[in-house]
Amino acid sequence: MPAASAIKVMVVDDQASMRAMIRRALQDFGFKDVRDKPSGPEALAAVRADRVHLIISDFNMPEMDGIQLLEQVRGDPVIGKTVFIMLTGSSDREIVQKAAALGVNNYLVKPFAPAVLKEKIERVFGELT
Amino acid sequence: MKRISIVQGEQAVVSEPNVVVSTVLGSCVAVCLQDPVARVGGMNHFLLGEPSPDRPVPAANMVRYGVHAMELLINEMMKHGASRERLRAHLYGGATMIAGLGPIGRENAAFARRFVETEGIPVGHVDLGGDHARRVEFLPYDGRARSRQVANAPPVAPPRPAPRPPLGDVELF
Repeated sequence: MPAASAIKVMVVDDQASMRAMIRRALQDFGFKDVRDKPSGPEALAAVRADRVHLIISDFNMPEMDGIQLLEQVRGDPVIGKTVFIMLTGSSDREIVQKAAALGVNNYLVKPFAPAVLKEKIERVFGELT
Repeated sequence: MKRISIVQGEQAVVSEPNVVVSTVLGSCVAVCLQDPVARVGGMNHFLLGEPSPDRPVPAANMVRYGVHAMELLINEMMKHGASRERLRAHLYGGATMIAGLGPIGRENAAFARRFVETEGIPVGHVDLGGDHARRVEFLPYDGRARSRQVANAPPVAPPRPAPRPPLGDVELF
């Protein structure tokens, strides 16, 4: 069982209060190293400079959306295998299929309860301690 | 003048002139946002601010929280051409309607203030707190809003039935 405290996370969402809510939920689950960025390009630069184990990204962002960010990550030889969980709106069915084709590890539909976020992370990493 | 009336859990986004969006608030909060360049405005009406971290919340009830209502409103406004950097806000509601019923109104008002501060959205008119119901009227195209005291708050709606499992048959994981 992986220790949540050993998993480095990058949260990407253009809404600061959503980032803050996700951060708080992750900290409640025992994550210690949680970073966040308001846009895809900033997140990409940050995780290239300092790798993380898990990226949790919103889909709906201006400039670079979650699918474009996923594409960039998967196309990068160094960070290409980073676990990627996408947050989508309830009507984004096509987005999920596209994300799956690009190798997303899991997805979460907004609005979500914090417990569901933990469940999705555990489906990829195994039960967290 | 076309009128659009919203209730708890709803929102309206408008990018045309001569439309007024209105709602009646008790302890709920309505946030009016406008982009004065794109001339897009929107208003929501939510029951609760943020889920408390130590209390499990069923996913179906998350839609009642302001943190999601605000995201839906901003996303819809951006679809209409608004830019997050240009948004201006007016904040209303968060009254304590029945003494002893707990701090919901106060918490909602605090959430609304914290939200605009966290997002860096400048605030125009603020009418939060107190112990009376309010009617709010917002002109999304002009960005102007006003509130006035009314005698009765709307009843708080029961939780909406859980939505159909989202994404239907997309079972990928």
